[in-house]
Amino acid sequence: MNTAEHLKIEDLHTYFYSNVKRAFIHSVNGVSLTVNKGETLGIVGESGSGKSISMLSTMGLINAAPGVLQGEVTLHTKQGSESLLKGLDQFVKIDIQDKRIISVKKDLNAWNKQVENNMKHIRGKEISMIFQNPKAAMNPYETIGKQIVEMVLLHTELRNKHEAKEKAVYWLERVKIDSPQWRFDNHPFGLSGGMCQRAMVAMALSSEPSLLIADEPTTGLDATIQSKIIDLLAELQQELGITMVLISHDISVISRLSDNIAVMYSGTVMEQGPAKAVLDVNSDKTHPYTQALLSSVPEEHNLLANGHLKSIDGEVPDTIDIPAGCRFYARCKMKHSGIEKQCHHENPPFQEISPGHRVRCWLRIN
Amino acid sequence: MYTEFSQLPIEKRQDIEKHWWKKIHRMDLLYLCYGITIVSLVVISYFLGAFNLLPFDPEEMDLDNMMVGIGAEGHILGTDFMGRDLLSRMILGIQAYFLPGLLAIVIALSFGSFLGVLSGFYGGRIDTGVTYFNNLVDSFPRLVLILLVVAAFKPDIYYIMIIVGLTNAPVVAALIKNKIQFLKQKNFIESSIAMGLPTHLIIFKHILWYNCRSILIIQATLGMGEAILMETSLSYLGFGVQEPTPSWGNMVQAGSNYLMQGNFWPSTAPALAIMFTILGFYLLGDALNHILEGRKS
Amino acid sequence: MNTHQQTGDTWLSPVQSLAHKLNLDSPWVKHKLDFVMPMGVTIIRELLLALALLFGVSLVVFTILYAAPGDSFSLLLSGERSASATEEVAQSLGFSNSWFGQYSTWLINILHGDLGTSIRTGQSVFENVVSATINTLNLTLAAMLVTLIIAYPIAIYTSVRSATPLNGPLTIFAYVISALPLFWLAYIGIFVSTNVFDYFPLGIGLGVEDDMEIMQFLLPVLILGIGSGTVSEVVRFLKLEISRVLEEEYIRTAKAKGASIWRHGFKEGLLLPTSQIISSKIPFFLGGAIIVEQVFNWPGMGRMAWQAAQDRDFPVIMGIALAAAILVRLGSLVHRMIYIIVNPRASHE
Repeated sequence: MNTAEHLKIEDLHTYFYSNVKRAFIHSVNGVSLTVNKGETLGIVGESGSGKSISMLSTMGLINAAPGVLQGEVTLHTKQGSESLLKGLDQFVKIDIQDKRIISVKKDLNAWNKQVENNMKHIRGKEISMIFQNPKAAMNPYETIGKQIVEMVLLHTELRNKHEAKEKAVYWLERVKIDSPQWRFDNHPFGLSGGMCQRAMVAMALSSEPSLLIADEPTTGLDATIQSKIIDLLAELQQELGITMVLISHDISVISRLSDNIAVMYSGTVMEQGPAKAVLDVNSDKTHPYTQALLSSVPEEHNLLANGHLKSIDGEVPDTIDIPAGCRFYARCKMKHSGIEKQCHHENPPFQEISPGHRVRCWLRIN
Repeated sequence: MYTEFSQLPIEKRQDIEKHWWKKIHRMDLLYLCYGITIVSLVVISYFLGAFNLLPFDPEEMDLDNMMVGIGAEGHILGTDFMGRDLLSRMILGIQAYFLPGLLAIVIALSFGSFLGVLSGFYGGRIDTGVTYFNNLVDSFPRLVLILLVVAAFKPDIYYIMIIVGLTNAPVVAALIKNKIQFLKQKNFIESSIAMGLPTHLIIFKHILWYNCRSILIIQATLGMGEAILMETSLSYLGFGVQEPTPSWGNMVQAGSNYLMQGNFWPSTAPALAIMFTILGFYLLGDALNHILEGRKS
Repeated sequence: MNTHQQTGDTWLSPVQSLAHKLNLDSPWVKHKLDFVMPMGVTIIRELLLALALLFGVSLVVFTILYAAPGDSFSLLLSGERSASATEEVAQSLGFSNSWFGQYSTWLINILHGDLGTSIRTGQSVFENVVSATINTLNLTLAAMLVTLIIAYPIAIYTSVRSATPLNGPLTIFAYVISALPLFWLAYIGIFVSTNVFDYFPLGIGLGVEDDMEIMQFLLPVLILGIGSGTVSEVVRFLKLEISRVLEEEYIRTAKAKGASIWRHGFKEGLLLPTSQIISSKIPFFLGGAIIVEQVFNWPGMGRMAWQAAQDRDFPVIMGIALAAAILVRLGSLVHRMIYIIVNPRASHE
């Protein structure tokens, strides 16, 4: 297996500020992820776990303040490796007390300018994104054809509009849209949700990027269409050999596509490893949160085991005042008297328990 | 330029949670204080004028002290071109718009809520009719409509304010309609009907009182600002309060000839009064909007 | 395969069946018509609505004047045509003295371009109103431009750069100039112009546009543009729209694909708000024009309306009210057209 790194995120921090509460929301709190060339990384977690925010942060697409504060993002391209957050630390001053960021000074305008500069040859060209809710994510004021042509003209050698249109139609056909010449002239509102998502996939791939980030690509679509989109993504990834990051709250979607899986909870990665190891229902090495997620999937064995589907009790904690201990402590079913104190007061380290498989849990360390 | 974000210690944040006024944005607080100051000044001045508690007789001419400056001869704001005390005249000028303005507000709010409830609650053809009416009212520039009525009837300021109120009603109606549609989206109204509440209770208590009162308060504030604007404009044009009875509009007009000669004050003082007062009502409306309806971003 | 076959839908819209008759019913034509057709329907609906509103406007104006005390209303019917043609029509209909009879006579007169004669000057109202309307349009359109020139930079600057020390002062500035009384500002303008620039801006015996010198044109335009009382509202509206659009998901997509967000946000964030704010502020500018024209002796609708209201010159004030309403409806119609063309989704839902 080819294990050359493609995208590496280290210790990424993205915070938001609540003006009403006068406090930080720790959306992404020290996330480290690695995506290997040609593989698919699935990021799974409940809504609010920071999985989308962490990928939007790597792309420099965070609008709200203060946004990304620190971290290291390295992208390996054909031309060499590139640091996506380079030159940014001069625009932010962080005040830390008790290992916590309590005050931030950030030059938002200069930061944004530098981000635009860093991302100039990355966005669209090297990394493409597809989003959920395709009808709102495609420009509703323009035909999908025009939007794909724009992508082609921006990022490929084609400069001729006619050729670009041919290319766009080719990609529409490639994502299995019927009569692509006609659909070319449709606005997003004229297409069904599934077709629109296909069009967005076509747009994202039309610049021939090396990495595709799919941010909840199936959320909000009908179940049958969901699986068709997943099949399409799997097929295209095989054929084109591109690297993919797939974000979803649905672990069954993740499990169908991913080579590696990262499980996120409350702004941190709880577990990362090969899909096989992470998804192993019978394993006693995985994180309790992952196990809880797996047992809430509507599948036969879960129904047979319990008679009904299990839900995870409690809610995702708000990420304003993060307790010192394990994030999942309050909802964890597996904490027992032996380690409870440790779980409550100390944040477990991200420990490698087998090659490439890391877990953040005291249970698995001891 | 660095923007600072700092997290308050948890005890202080809990303190903020307890007291709602501590959550108000600094800018809104400023607007709010300014607006309330202006409103109370206007109200106090109205009563001073109504009970004739003025420093000088506003219509008494004093030809020895024409256009004296601020503070001269006991005239706190000086005198105009006939030696009349400006402060007294400005206080009395509030009589010209205060009650008529309230009338305009009452009409705009009641008629506007009526239309809004009709179109939002009942929808369908009634909604089409109300929308047509609103568009019809919006077709006339307000001042043109008033001049038309002035030409036809030579009416009292109160009748003019009825027109101001009527022409303000579509704005209120649109806001209330939007709110009701929002409530419908949330199935609020269906569930109240399903609970068997009588229609009048749903409309008056649950829609207008619980959900629309902040809209009405904000619109009342903004409406007063517009009423002042209308009254002063009309008095300036000579269709409102006539000399020697003072109104801020006709005071600016009367002082304007002297303004050309370099005597700014008799015209500028009432003009500034207009500006600060209208500003007060607008800012108050804005602050209330942010506080009651939530600030964007 | 097209969608109609997929869903088993065999119903043909009128245009589709027309296309069938003309032998144009290739799937391609259908596909195109499916897109264009709803737009056409919406445009026609807007036109009909505008006509219906103008009809309502005429009713309102007529009713007000009909209810006015005195016999002054008959003056309205004393135009050139009235004696012969119109009264014949009314009489042949058999209700020349009823409300409806008078209204229809009056409406027919208006539709023939006959607004009666001015009580004060004895001239034809129609011609006077038309020339005054053109003068006022010059004033108001130029003043709107001034307002937009003031408001746009503030709105764009404060919505794009969220963190700037100028944010507060600029907002307050917009508020303050919106609260300034227009008539006082006009006098200050005249004073500054005469004393600082040594130029007396009041045209004497104006009436022909060619006589207007640049200062005579510029000063009223600047004053109305600054003092119309709409700057803060325009700023707030534009700011809201721009920041709302910049938060839209498709703008994020545009960013993610490396395209210009201004190119993608232009239609919804700049073009539509501009056309909407212009169309919705026309009444305010026409109202402000009454004051500015009165101060500057500008030969437009506003001064004419003021004079007519003084003299209770019904035919004139009525003509102006109609002309103003037509301008307002036209503005709104233009906005709706732009909206329908720019945003085809609107007519498809």
